[in-house]
Amino acid sequence: MSSFPRSALAGLGRHPARLSTVLVVIIGILLPFWVDAYWLSTLVFVLVAALGALGLDVLTGRTGQISLGHAFFLMVGAYTGGYLGVNLHESALFWIPAAGIVAGLLGAVAATTAMRLRGLYLGIVTIGLVYIGQWVATNWTTVSGGSGGRTLAVPGNGTFSFANGLHLGSLSITENGLYYYTAFVLLALGMMYVHNLGHSRVGRNMAAVRDRELAAAVLGVNVARTKTTAFIVSSIMAGVAGAMYGSFLSFVTPGQFDLLLSIQYVIIVVVGGLGALWGPLLGAFFVVGLPALLQNEAASLPFLEGGTRTTGIPVTDATDLLYGVLLIVFLLVEPRGIVGLAHRIGSLVRRRRATPKELGVVPSLTQEG
Amino acid sequence: MSDPVLRVEEVGLSFGAVAALSQVSFEVGTGELFALIGPNGAGKTTLFNLLSCIYAPTAGTISYLGRDMADYRPHHLAGLGIARTFQNLALFPALSVLENVLVGRTHLMRSGAIRAGLSLPSARREEKANRQAAFEALEFAGLSDVAHRPVATLPYGLRKRVELARVVTMEPKLLLLDEPVAGMSRTERSEITALVRAVHERFAPTVVLVEHDMSVVMSLAERILVLDFGRTIAIGPPQEIQANPEVIRAYLGEPDPEEVEA
Amino acid sequence: MKTFALQLFSGLSIGAVYALIALGFTVIFRASRIINFAQGELLALGALLTSSLISAHGLPFWLAFLIGAALTAAAGFAFQTLVLRFAVGKPDFTIVMLTLGLATVLAAALDAGFGAYPRSNGDPWGSSVVHVFGLALLWVQVWTIVTAVVLLVAFRLFNKHTKYGLAMRSTAADTEAAVAVGIPLRRVHGSAWVLAGLVACVGGVFLGGFPNTVSPSISDVTFFAFPAIILGGIDSTTGAVVGGFIIGVVQQLTAGYQPTYAAFLGQDFYIAAPYIVMIIVLLVRPYGLFGSRPAERL
Repeated sequence: MSSFPRSALAGLGRHPARLSTVLVVIIGILLPFWVDAYWLSTLVFVLVAALGALGLDVLTGRTGQISLGHAFFLMVGAYTGGYLGVNLHESALFWIPAAGIVAGLLGAVAATTAMRLRGLYLGIVTIGLVYIGQWVATNWTTVSGGSGGRTLAVPGNGTFSFANGLHLGSLSITENGLYYYTAFVLLALGMMYVHNLGHSRVGRNMAAVRDRELAAAVLGVNVARTKTTAFIVSSIMAGVAGAMYGSFLSFVTPGQFDLLLSIQYVIIVVVGGLGALWGPLLGAFFVVGLPALLQNEAASLPFLEGGTRTTGIPVTDATDLLYGVLLIVFLLVEPRGIVGLAHRIGSLVRRRRATPKELGVVPSLTQEG
Repeated sequence: MSDPVLRVEEVGLSFGAVAALSQVSFEVGTGELFALIGPNGAGKTTLFNLLSCIYAPTAGTISYLGRDMADYRPHHLAGLGIARTFQNLALFPALSVLENVLVGRTHLMRSGAIRAGLSLPSARREEKANRQAAFEALEFAGLSDVAHRPVATLPYGLRKRVELARVVTMEPKLLLLDEPVAGMSRTERSEITALVRAVHERFAPTVVLVEHDMSVVMSLAERILVLDFGRTIAIGPPQEIQANPEVIRAYLGEPDPEEVEA
Repeated sequence: MKTFALQLFSGLSIGAVYALIALGFTVIFRASRIINFAQGELLALGALLTSSLISAHGLPFWLAFLIGAALTAAAGFAFQTLVLRFAVGKPDFTIVMLTLGLATVLAAALDAGFGAYPRSNGDPWGSSVVHVFGLALLWVQVWTIVTAVVLLVAFRLFNKHTKYGLAMRSTAADTEAAVAVGIPLRRVHGSAWVLAGLVACVGGVFLGGFPNTVSPSISDVTFFAFPAIILGGIDSTTGAVVGGFIIGVVQQLTAGYQPTYAAFLGQDFYIAAPYIVMIIVLLVRPYGLFGSRPAERL
């Protein structure tokens, strides 16, 4: 059935494709040819994190469910992808979606906790998911390889493999490039889906549950189903992101999927802008891209430890410090994150451009007084 | 009364030793406009919350269309054809006026995460049809100009109207109105009163109204129940209630003769 | 039997620390209805400050401890006055995220400032033991339990019999009413954070006693205290303490006996155990053993 692409585009076309979106897409497609391998690999991490964060935003930003358990679903995706790809020799066309589906099923189970628990209680139970998940991963060695970790497959089929890159005539795409385009497509699909969801009955129900849950129920919103949907969508995206992340790294250990990872994702969605479509991507650029930038420039920044300098603040500490401060500043000053900031700047610019007469500052000569 | 829509029998609600309501009984017939009044703390809101299944009565029964409401929870209401407004306004600030009203239609729609997310034709058709219906409710309430504005930018009076539009679009059999004119200016009050009357005349739902403002109640209600300290002190048509010495004693703000009449 | 008693005692000692951590959470939660995700970092701050005052500046343990506690309390107070005060009225989610922001900043600052290596907490007991009923109990664990109990009793007296204690309880019950009655909200909030900081420092220093060490990652332990507060009920101080001791004992006994008797549960089960216990309790009592259901306004 070819109705999905057409209707997806139509869904986007209901709000006529704005020039900026098209521009971003074009730049996105051309980027791999303009940056070096280091930056390309950073961009892969950014896009994959953006996909994971998009899921968390559906759950937390749009439906108001506090979750510190995102690392768990990323982990489930990574191990599912790894086991199916390496142990069972399945193709990436299978293990990528399968990683999402398995994570989604567990998300549905986790959703049952959200039925009876609210706010902080829910948040703390989701912390439990991470610890319990890490314990399971440490011990279920057939799937996870134990605390030592396991490898994941590089997508490929016979002679074609991401590892070899792709050569079409004079066009040459590296391994990083192929990962980049895969992540790009997955993120684009995800964002179109979330965009459609946001303008639909489901999106409205999510906002209602987030803002006034009891009133929403009285008005006919099926709160349980809305929360479950949010958990499932969120964990499917996390699962896919986790599988991609693991595959790109080619090796994962349980220790990577810890509470700090969950917190990092929460910071991404908050800094990017809760409930905003572009929030997760902008947040990911910031939270994932910035350390890479600082690491690169560490030698030239005097207070950072890097390059040949052994004194100074380790880059990770410097970036964490920055995030913490930014998180605090954003929360107090611009709770709608970077997207909110962009809107504010945008409306400021628009107001500046309006002529004084339009603003009514200079009285028209035809009026009295 | 033959087959009342709502039957409240000897209903009581106690929080520990405190009896918020005791031995309240009344019936509301199909299409009737029934009002609950009483001084502050008389138990009107408590009774309302019982009717919305937020609490269950500790004594007595409430039946809706013959069925015991103790079996139901708040999320069953919409499907049963019961719609209510909220004293403190339950509007969703992130959504526009139209979208807020559309939330009321959610129980009449079926598109879920798959159909809506993939923007399938069936979902788009359903969305279009329901938007149309919601928009008609907005037009009825005189809000079509602000349909796409974020609801949080509207003044209080208009926001109260959005709530009314929302319950109208829910196509209810029983309409529960929680202090619809609270906090309003004189003009706003008469506008809302006219709107409530229009809703009642056009769609003929059964209406149960909680309100403080005596003139509004007198001009709208067909029968009135007066509560004080959680007990019924009078029940009957407006003229009887107005003349009832018990009621006058318990509380009566004389309706301002300058108030706009029916 | 002897091993069991020793394990139990260890469990009580770690439970005492969890009880203190839980108390720190509860004090702030009762004053302002938020969970302070930075409690663990305050604990680490206290422990690291105390430790370095002893090793780098040669101060005696008690003095270093007092100064460390005062500084940690000041840090908590500073965060409340300089940051949280501006977040009054914002949704709970925002305020919790602010504490997460503080946690991130503190964690990075401590790591950069003190370095990630393990060090001694500087207590005077080291690995010395006292013999009671034929058991060799670690002095540091004895002192942990004693100090915790004394602090908890002191807090209970403070809560019940002083003006500030009453003010805190009133604010916990109904903030609007408390303000209406003239309770100085800012001072109540400030004192809650001061208490939380003090209690965090005490917990941190004792946590770093033999056989443990002090390093910035000592803050991780707070994530085991979460099940304690949830188990006990987030808004109950009794619950926090009871929950703390329960979790401590469960964890210690699990670590001690599970590899032998329930090996199928695998490695590192003692990490997951507190959360599994918590989830089971929540299934039965969604607000914990002693907690209460928050009122929902329509």
